[in-house]
Amino acid sequence: MHNQITSNNAFAIDKVFEPLVAFDNKGEIVDWLAKSHNISDDGLTYTFVLRDGLKFSNGTDVTAEDAVFSLERHLKVGGPLAISAKVDTVKATDSHTLVITLKEPYTPFISELSNFSNGIIPNNFGGVTEEEFFKKPVGTGPFVVEQWDPAGDVTFTKNTHYWQEGKPSVDKLVYKLIEDDSQAINQLKAGEVDAIESLALQNADEIKNGADTTVVTNGSWVTEQLFFNTLDKHFSDVHVRRALALALDRDGLTKALTFGYAQTANSLLPTTIPYNSNDTLKALNFDVNAAKAELAKSAFPDGFTTKLLVASGNSTRAQEAQIIQAAGKQIGINIEIESIELATFRERFFAYDFAAMLNSGQADSPEANSIVAFQTDPDGFSKSYWTHYTNDEVTKLLYKGQQTPDGDGRAEIYSKLLQTLADEVPYIPLYYPDILIGVRSSVDGIVVLPNGSVRFEDVRIQK
Amino acid sequence: MTAVFFLIRMVPGDPAKMILGEYSTPEAVESMHHALGLDLPLGEQFIRFVKTLFTQGDTGNSIINGTSTRELIADRAPVTLLLIGMACALSIVIALVLATLAATHKDKLLDHLIRIFPTVTLGMPIFWVGILLILLLSVHLHWFPVGGVGEGWWGTLYSLTLPAITVAFSQIPTLVRSLRAQMLEVLESDFVVTLKAARLPSRVILFKHVLRNAALPTLILLGVNISYLIGGTLVVEQVFGIKGIGSLLFSSISKRDFPVIQGIALYCAVSVVIISLLIELLSRWLDPRTKGKP
Repeated sequence: MHNQITSNNAFAIDKVFEPLVAFDNKGEIVDWLAKSHNISDDGLTYTFVLRDGLKFSNGTDVTAEDAVFSLERHLKVGGPLAISAKVDTVKATDSHTLVITLKEPYTPFISELSNFSNGIIPNNFGGVTEEEFFKKPVGTGPFVVEQWDPAGDVTFTKNTHYWQEGKPSVDKLVYKLIEDDSQAINQLKAGEVDAIESLALQNADEIKNGADTTVVTNGSWVTEQLFFNTLDKHFSDVHVRRALALALDRDGLTKALTFGYAQTANSLLPTTIPYNSNDTLKALNFDVNAAKAELAKSAFPDGFTTKLLVASGNSTRAQEAQIIQAAGKQIGINIEIESIELATFRERFFAYDFAAMLNSGQADSPEANSIVAFQTDPDGFSKSYWTHYTNDEVTKLLYKGQQTPDGDGRAEIYSKLLQTLADEVPYIPLYYPDILIGVRSSVDGIVVLPNGSVRFEDVRIQK
Repeated sequence: MTAVFFLIRMVPGDPAKMILGEYSTPEAVESMHHALGLDLPLGEQFIRFVKTLFTQGDTGNSIINGTSTRELIADRAPVTLLLIGMACALSIVIALVLATLAATHKDKLLDHLIRIFPTVTLGMPIFWVGILLILLLSVHLHWFPVGGVGEGWWGTLYSLTLPAITVAFSQIPTLVRSLRAQMLEVLESDFVVTLKAARLPSRVILFKHVLRNAALPTLILLGVNISYLIGGTLVVEQVFGIKGIGSLLFSSISKRDFPVIQGIALYCAVSVVIISLLIELLSRWLDPRTKGKP
């Protein structure tokens, strides 16, 4: 939406700006600023009718023209969560109705619109410059920014014009940026903060069993994975990748590292996203003998030495790396762990300068295409998530999945696609971690969304 | 400054990618590079940097949030300076008490105990001391806030007490050692023997004559240590969640926010020079013999 805001305060944006449609905590698309939406049978025309009496936080009415301006601006600026659909026109047919037409059908479009980056802002920024506008943003969200500290702290006050009657119930919301994990946990325990985001898995039980604290959790759109560079000397060999997948006890790894707050992954799609096929897929499960047999079929039957790239400062990932190292050792693959700091880590994999790496894929919307496109499209800028994995059949299925309307037909496409990935393993899905929020027991009504964001409209704090 | 400029640019890691995240298209990264002036040759970037330094007296605007470096530092500096000040004051007071006790009880149990203390504490990493203090005094006993900076003067002083103690912890051992040795030397010197013979009360001898003479080398030591003190503060800020210069430096380094890193390096260098100057002046005042000497 706005690069410098998102870089520091992505969590803050959905408190202030809201889209036409949103997703609930189960990841289902629900009407939000629109009271209804309709998709034409050919999948080309999207019609949205705005709710009555909608107001921006400064008291002015929200009209379809505002939505036209917001969406056209987003189509122009793009940014990290750009609209991928080929949009032909965005028009207001009256003050309450918005019609979007596409050049070709694109089923994921409706869920793309549910991103916070498609939040509705006043037409022409309400008459100020873009820069001034984002210093004092005006939106339809439950909260209004009162103070924006360059240190990363944001103070919000309640939006008195909020369209959901009687919400939010708290008058003030303060987002504090605490960079040290143990500092954040201690502040929660001592009651200096009411809730903490991004609670690490290994700290969950301590907070859950604390006298005054508990944990709120939800399934996420994240899949933790081991990625192979398929241009690498060793990992370009499908038998090598399959051998390592067979040698790895994913169930054991998940149990050992995630303290019951994750599910073992069979595909790159988390179970929170439709068409994940997690139950029906035939994944390569732990079997050392089969792994040895598979390696024997490869160009390196006697094993080899390779490197695994890991970002430092994440203890869970460091342990994953060690488990993978031990798994490789059983079949003669000697894995050296290369642990480097995050900015350098990103630099390395963006340059395809790795043999294997640990990272996670995350969907931005409740839509299979979101992760699948990012991880399988060899022509996309991410080159199949920097793995360079190329399979024409998979690419064909990817595009077909984007154009097929929701239903059994689409399910079949993704099931076929995911089975191919499971057989060829350009990446080994490890587990789907839950999102964990540590809260004081006095806090009620916190809603955690699968993208990691938190809704505060219903929060009440017992005195 | 030149070294800092080129060194941090040699470290891999691209600020544009840190801003835009893993899901950014190469086009977005490129336009961000252009907007930030990172697509220029390094020499040109350096000339720009020097120009900004001389025309604005500043290292430019933060790449991450566009705020001017000077503003960011000015915003964060007071709490860091206060923390350093409190840590210095605490170190001096505690070191004085301990050293005096040790010197006046030379070779007795108290002296031995005080002398063991530095040996033990010198080996402790400062962040670990901080975490232990938080667990004991904040989480369990609720005597101090866990972190952050409270509101108002009293709130700020109160919430900085524990961090200041933590920073002081790293200073006290060397100060006690130095001060004790100096005091013993002065206590055995001829003029103290004369004063004792003149039957001056021992309290007067100790505070008026011995301490004043013994304090000088210790003060200079504190001055020399000030750069370590600044370093220690940076770590402690992170542990206590204090938004001062230290935490700004940490986040700027992890996001590769070049202008801010350079700005902090510049201001730290300047403050070390100023503090050395102040210590020099203070030592002249304490010891008139150094007056007029280069």
